[in-house]
Amino acid sequence: MTATSVLAPKASFDVRKLLHAREAGVFAALVLLFILGTVLSPNFAQSGNLLSVGQQISQIGIMAIGATFVIINGEIDLSVGSIYALAAISTGMAIAAGLAWPVAILIGLGVGAVAGLLNGLAVVLLGVPSFIVTLGSLSVFRGITLLISDGAPISLSAKQPGVAEFTLLGQGRLFGVVPMQLIIFAVIAALGVVLLSRSRLGFNTYAVGGNQEAARLVGINVKTVKLTAFVLSGLTAAIAGVLGLSFLSYVQGVTGTGLELTVISAVIIGGAALFGGSGTMWGTIIGVAFIGLLQNILNINGISSFWQTVVTGLVIVAAVAADTWQRKRKTRA
Amino acid sequence: MTTLSPLGGPEDLRAQAGGTQPAIRIRGLSRSFGPVRALEDVSFDVPAGELTALLGENGAGKSTLLKILAGLQPPSGGSVTLFGREVDAYDPHTMLTEHSIAIVPQELSLLPDRTVAENILAGVEPGNRLFPSKRTMIRRTLELLSELELQLDPNTVVRTLDMATQQLVVVARSIARGCRVLILDEPTAMLTPAEADRLFALMAKLKAGGTTLLYVSHRMPEVFALADQIEVLRDGRHVASWRRSETTPEQAVAAMVGRELGQFTSRAELHPAADRSGSTPALAVAELSGRRHSGISFEVRPGEILGVAGLPDSGRVELLHNIFGAEKGTGGTVALSGRVYENRSPIASVAAKLAFVPGERRAQGLLTTMSVGDNIGVLTVRALSRLGLVRRGAFDRSTSERARALRVKTATIDQPITNLSGGNQQKAMLARWLAIEPTVLVLDEPTRGVDVGAKAEIYEQLFALSEGGVAMLCSSSDLPELLTITDRIAVLSEGRLVGIVDTASATEESIMTLATGAVASAA
Repeated sequence: MTATSVLAPKASFDVRKLLHAREAGVFAALVLLFILGTVLSPNFAQSGNLLSVGQQISQIGIMAIGATFVIINGEIDLSVGSIYALAAISTGMAIAAGLAWPVAILIGLGVGAVAGLLNGLAVVLLGVPSFIVTLGSLSVFRGITLLISDGAPISLSAKQPGVAEFTLLGQGRLFGVVPMQLIIFAVIAALGVVLLSRSRLGFNTYAVGGNQEAARLVGINVKTVKLTAFVLSGLTAAIAGVLGLSFLSYVQGVTGTGLELTVISAVIIGGAALFGGSGTMWGTIIGVAFIGLLQNILNINGISSFWQTVVTGLVIVAAVAADTWQRKRKTRA
Repeated sequence: MTTLSPLGGPEDLRAQAGGTQPAIRIRGLSRSFGPVRALEDVSFDVPAGELTALLGENGAGKSTLLKILAGLQPPSGGSVTLFGREVDAYDPHTMLTEHSIAIVPQELSLLPDRTVAENILAGVEPGNRLFPSKRTMIRRTLELLSELELQLDPNTVVRTLDMATQQLVVVARSIARGCRVLILDEPTAMLTPAEADRLFALMAKLKAGGTTLLYVSHRMPEVFALADQIEVLRDGRHVASWRRSETTPEQAVAAMVGRELGQFTSRAELHPAADRSGSTPALAVAELSGRRHSGISFEVRPGEILGVAGLPDSGRVELLHNIFGAEKGTGGTVALSGRVYENRSPIASVAAKLAFVPGERRAQGLLTTMSVGDNIGVLTVRALSRLGLVRRGAFDRSTSERARALRVKTATIDQPITNLSGGNQQKAMLARWLAIEPTVLVLDEPTRGVDVGAKAEIYEQLFALSEGGVAMLCSSSDLPELLTITDRIAVLSEGRLVGIVDTASATEESIMTLATGAVASAA
């Protein structure tokens, strides 16, 4: 064995490292998908179509940013679809009650953050596995949503003062071109990238997710790290919920049912491991884009939405299988 | 000489020209893990119907050899032949059913919530495959247990049995599957002398019945009382082979230890007992109690290395965890440099400059999904952050510096920590904790799974730290290690401190006598 004690700090940009990164495989798949889309339909690569894909993936994408923190922690949050609805209903009711829309938004986001905090507290203090906690809270938050709205949908009237401004968030386009939702997603994604890959919280997230006991023994506050992840997950779900309300001017108690599965799928396709400790924010962003493009290609080629469900499911399994196969090959080498 | 093998064809007869066909014939066996060679060209025979002891220090390659024999991992080269048939598929099922070889591992793999009968006959249930007959199972189990002269109720749930009895259940389980070769991996490590005697009786019974036994142990008196044949591994190589009558315990220990003992200059020789009695103890433990230990008191002065010895169940690991705050104690105090340290926790210990390198490196030390640099730098993240963001440049420079200081051999600090050898991982763990400039360093098994070269480097490092005034508390199951690196050794037995001996005058035997409680009962 050669004693190579070459410990030079890494170059800031290392092509080899980029190629070896786990998200490289997903990115290659994304590029292939893009080529496939272009071949199958001339309408696909139009900027109008791609921007509308951007619009469609924004809410899922925002939720996936929060979910990435939870999943890298080695936890899971199944309640984000319910938090999405709870935040949307809360904001909608606040606006309907005549509150100024920025205040209504803050209420919605606050509700989401508190919901996430409750999830986190149950996991951290009661020691119940997050799968169980959030399976329960999925139901509880959905129930509360239906209770406070009395099961009735909320429609925002454009005549009400402030509603026009509020709906701009979801429906507006910057310079009439770029959807506002996509811009909000981009900003949150950028924050997510910095927070996960550059911050102390991000560092501790990988440490806790990779080996919770080792992290605890080096004095990392495991509980705080996990709580923060659940709060971020609740908060991003609420942001998406508020955008959803703004986009449709309409919300009802069952809105967002099943969203959690799409969100988790995106994160997994992006290369994060469900047992924690690995994955990147860029991977998640690519995973979100992959799901969006896939659905769009199936859509514009006239394939039924039933098939879309089947294909998305297969892609998740294939992505993880490819990853497992690659890792096995590496350890054997 | 008659052949014992029912398979003995003409070819076998020729192979047996020198005597009875061996139960296990190992030829040129090798196994590498990346750059680490755990086994290198090992060849020896295990005679049928006898008890062969396999000796070797930690890291000598015994576990690797046993894993290959149990079918838990394939060799990188060489062959294993069982009763004349060469093994071509290394998996546990083939080894057990085709080659009739079973292992009693250190970590017993029983189904804790099932009964003794269910555990013994799991997989070989009598009667219908889907619905085994409960009554026949009980009857079969009773027959087997009485054959082995074990008084056990087949209906007892395994969880309620003590470790020693569980071990006997594992032996019975192997016999139920018709094994002809039984491997026992340090079976007495967790046993009291009385329990060990019970196991030895069972082993004698099996041997009389024709079962071949391969037995791994560190304990010379046991080995010389039980074994017919002795094989010694050192650093992955087969270094000695004797009939028991041909050798002595001293000779066997010398073969096990080999050049290693000569290689490390012991601390007693380097620093003839400095008088430290005047200084304030860096670590003072008084009447400390917790899980599996109680009423422990001792002091460690700056620059002193206090060893902690004891059998695996002596409570020494729990004691270390209690001191560091990794688990809650039930009473007593810990004082650091004269100041009582209350509400101990890992977070508070980091602040108090109390460092802890845990013994289970993979489970408790490594941040398994992170890089070498991140693993080394984890304790500097806070100091090298601004507004919650890690200053990556400064962080990388500082971790590179630490890695270089401890001679962690890695291509770059961006390598995953799991790519490193055990020795380099361990150096990284040590490098990590030096970042807090500890006044007290607690170490558990500082060189477990570490190759000889890295071991020497770690010892040098510990001696250098001691020169710098760091007080160390070092627990180890490796007695030669404790005798090499410590000033004094605290010996624990069944959760109690039974003595603190000066290393200069201690021997492996004197420590073992204390640790097994032989002296405490006499006193």
